[in-house]
Amino acid sequence: MLREEELKTFVDGTTRYFEVAAQQPATIGSPYLLEGEPAMHDYTGMINISGKREGVVYFTAPRAMLTVLLMKMQESDFSHESMRDLVGEVANTISGNARRDFGHDFVISVPSVFAGEKPQIPQPPGTRAFVIPIHWRSHSAKLVVSLT
Amino acid sequence: MQSSGTDRSRRLLTAAAGALLAALMALVLIIGFRLATRIRDNVATLRRASLLQAYPSELSQQLTALRERLGTLEYTGGVQQELSDSVAGVNRDLTALEHRRGLDPTLLGTAEQLWRAYGPVLAPVLAYAGEPYSDTDFGSSLSVSGKMYYTQVRRAELFAQSHAPALHRQLTALTAALQKRTSNAAARLRLLLSAGVLAVLLLGGAAAYLQLARSRGERAAQAAEEQTRDILHTVREGLFLLDADYRIGSVWSQALNHLFGREDFAGLPFEELLRDKVSPATLATAMKYIKLLWGERAHENLIKSINPLGQLEVTLDNGRGGKETRYLQFNFHRVLGAKGVKHVLCTVADITSNVMLTRELHEAQESAHAQLDMMVGMLQSDPLQVGGFLDAAAAGLKHINAILKEPARSHAEFSKKLAGLARELHAIKGEASALNLMSIAQRVHHLEDMVESLKGKSELDGNDFLPLVLKLDELLAHLRAVREMIGRLGALQAPASAPADTLSSPVLRPVGAEELAATLQNLARKLAEDHGKPFTLSLEGLTEVPAQYLGALKDCLIQMLRNAAVHGIEPDTVRRAGSKSATGQVRAQFQRQADGFELVFEDDGAGLSPEALKQAAVRKQLLTAEQAAELDDRAALALIFKPGFSTRTEVSLDAGRGTGMDLVAKAIYGLGGRIGVSTHPGRFTRFKIALPVPRETAVA
Repeated sequence: MLREEELKTFVDGTTRYFEVAAQQPATIGSPYLLEGEPAMHDYTGMINISGKREGVVYFTAPRAMLTVLLMKMQESDFSHESMRDLVGEVANTISGNARRDFGHDFVISVPSVFAGEKPQIPQPPGTRAFVIPIHWRSHSAKLVVSLT
Repeated sequence: MQSSGTDRSRRLLTAAAGALLAALMALVLIIGFRLATRIRDNVATLRRASLLQAYPSELSQQLTALRERLGTLEYTGGVQQELSDSVAGVNRDLTALEHRRGLDPTLLGTAEQLWRAYGPVLAPVLAYAGEPYSDTDFGSSLSVSGKMYYTQVRRAELFAQSHAPALHRQLTALTAALQKRTSNAAARLRLLLSAGVLAVLLLGGAAAYLQLARSRGERAAQAAEEQTRDILHTVREGLFLLDADYRIGSVWSQALNHLFGREDFAGLPFEELLRDKVSPATLATAMKYIKLLWGERAHENLIKSINPLGQLEVTLDNGRGGKETRYLQFNFHRVLGAKGVKHVLCTVADITSNVMLTRELHEAQESAHAQLDMMVGMLQSDPLQVGGFLDAAAAGLKHINAILKEPARSHAEFSKKLAGLARELHAIKGEASALNLMSIAQRVHHLEDMVESLKGKSELDGNDFLPLVLKLDELLAHLRAVREMIGRLGALQAPASAPADTLSSPVLRPVGAEELAATLQNLARKLAEDHGKPFTLSLEGLTEVPAQYLGALKDCLIQMLRNAAVHGIEPDTVRRAGSKSATGQVRAQFQRQADGFELVFEDDGAGLSPEALKQAAVRKQLLTAEQAAELDDRAALALIFKPGFSTRTEVSLDAGRGTGMDLVAKAIYGLGGRIGVSTHPGRFTRFKIALPVPRETAVA
C-alpha cells in the first residue's frame, strides 16, 4: 500500500519543477481517489515503475497552462513539440525525485508522452489511483499516482 | 584499565632502575676519584720516600769525598755544596712526609729521630766557611781551621757510615709501608671499579629487562589498540562516549559516520547530533534524559526503562541528495569511575528494518485479528444486514471521495470539507459499531481523529489531506476484504441456495424494518456491555416506517441509542441510589399521525442539564461565557444539535466528537422533518421527531 512519504515524493517532484522552472511554486489541491476513467488533459507525461512497487505515475496538464509555463520560462516556441517536451520534463523531474528518495527499490522507465490521443494507462490490479490536483497561477493540472 | 596500571608500574620501575644506576655510577666515580687522588699522592710520597732512601749512603759518600779532598788538598767547595744540598733535601722530604696523612707515625718518627742524630755532626761541617788550606813556600797544607774541619768531616764520615744503614732501613721500611698503602688503595680502586662495573651490568640488565617488558607491554597495547580499531571499524552500531558537557569523545565507531553521514564527531555536542533530525520537542526530551544519566543517584535500570530514544524516527540524507526516514535506537550505559560517572557510553543502532518488520507483523496480526473479529461478528449478524451496511458504507465513502474531489484552493474551501467528512464518517462508524464490525469502526474512528486534528489547524492546504486520502484508500481496501469474506461465509452457510458471489458483489437494497430492529437490539446489548450500564430497548411501530425513511432513520436511531447509553442511562449503582430500577429503559416508538409520522425516542436516564450543556458549549468554544449566560433552558437544550458540541471531554468510539446529534438533526431536516427535545433532570430525555408523509407514499 502506498505510503505518505512515497506520495509526497511524487508531489514534491511536481511542485518543485514549477518552482525551479518558472520561479513560482505550484500548490496542491484536495487529493481524491480516481473513479472510473482517468481524466486526462491535453498533454500527459508518464513514467512506469517496476521493482519493489509496480504502477504508473503521470502528470497531465492543459495546453493553456503549459503555454503560460513556457512563457514564464522565456520560451518563444509554443509548438506541439514544445508542449510534449515540457510534460516530458515534468515527468523526468518526478522520476529524478523518486530515484533520489527510493534508490534502487524502484525501477523507473524513461518518460513517455501523450498528446491528444487517449493513452492506455496500465492500472495495477487491486489498486486505486490517487489524483492530486496541481494548481499553478489560475491553471490546474493533475498528478495521478497508481502504485501497488 | 588493568594493562594500563601494569604499564605504569613498569615505567616507574624502569625510571627507578635508571635513577639507581645513575646514583651508583656517581658514587663509584666519586669514591674512585678520591681513591685515585690518594694513590696519586701516595705515589708522590713514595717517590719522595724512595729518594730519601738514597740519602744516607749519598751523605756517607759525600763526607768521604770531602775528607779525601781535604786530604789531597783539593778544592772542597763543590762537595760541600752537594753535602749541603743533600742535607737540605733530607730535611725537605722529611718535612714533606710529615704532612702526608696516613703514614705510620712510628716509622716516620724513628726515621726523623735517626736523622736528627746527624745534626750535631753535620752542623760544623756544613757551617764551615773558612779557608782549609794555607800556602807556604813549601807548598800548601791544611790550615789550623782546615785541620779542625778535617777532623769534623772525619767524625761525620764515621758517624754517617755507622748510622746510614739504620736510617736506610728505616726509610726503606717507610717506603715499604707507603708501597703497601698504595697497593691497598689500588686494590680498593680495582675492587670498586669491578663492583661498579658489576652493578652497572646488573642494573643495565635490569633496565634491559624492564625495557623488554615495556616493549612487550607496548606491543600488547598496540595489539589491543589495533583490536579496538578493528572493532570500531567493524561493529555495525555507532559507538561513542559522552562527557559531562554532553559532547562526543575523540573515538567513535565507523558505523556512526554511515548512520549520520558525517565525520566530524569529536567534541560535537549531542544536541547538535540530533538537531534538524528530530522535532524540537523530541530533542528537548532527549537532552533532559541525557542530563538524568549524570545524576549519581539515578538508578540505571530505571533510567533505561524511560529511554525516549529507544526508537527514534529521524530524517537523514540518503546519500543520493535526498532524505529518508530511518529508525535509530540509542542505548546509554554509564561508565563509572572512582569519582562517579566518568562517561556515558552511547550505542546507536539502525533498527529501520526491524521496525518495518515489526510494523508489518503488527499489521498482519491486526489484519488477522480483524478478520477473526469480523468473522465472529458476521457469524453473529445477519449476512444480509452486513451486506446492506457494506453497501451503505461504500456509498458513504463514495460521498466522502466526492467531497474531497470538490476543488479547493483556500483554507476556507478546505475547512468546509471537514464538516461533511466528519458527518459521513460518524454515520459509517455508528452502523459498523452497531453490527459489531469493530475493525471497520476503529479504522473510521482513526479517520475521524485525522479530520478532527485538521479542524484545529489555522491554515489548511492539499498536503494536509494526503494522509486522509491514503487512509480512505486503506479503508476501502478493508471493506473490499470484508466483502470477500462475507462472500466466502455466505457460500459456506448456504451453499445450495445462494451462489458463491451473491454477497461478494451485493446490490444496494433497502433496509427492512426487521433488520433495523435487529441492528438496534444488537447495538443496545453491545453498548450495555461496553459501558457497564444494563438497559433494555423497546421498539414499537418500526414496521410503519416508510421505506424511504428507513436508511436515514437507522442512522438517527443508532446515534440516539449511543447517546442514551453514553450520556443518559446511569450506572446501576447510581440508579439504585436514585430510587430507580437498576436496569434502564430506552424506548423508540414510531407511529403514524394525521399529517405524517412521529418518532419518539426516550430514555429514563439522567436527563439533560441546561447548565451543564452551557458549560460544555463554553469549554468547546462554541459560545463565550457571556453568550452562554444569556441562553434560556430551551436554547441551552438546542445546543446539542450544534456541530462539534459534546459534553464529553474524551473521545471514544461511541461519543465525544460532537458530531452525533448534528448528524441526526441534519438527516431529519433533510427529510423535511423537525426534531425537538424535552427533559427532566434525573428522570428522562425525550426526542420527538416529526416527519412528513413521503412524496411517493402520499401519491400512492
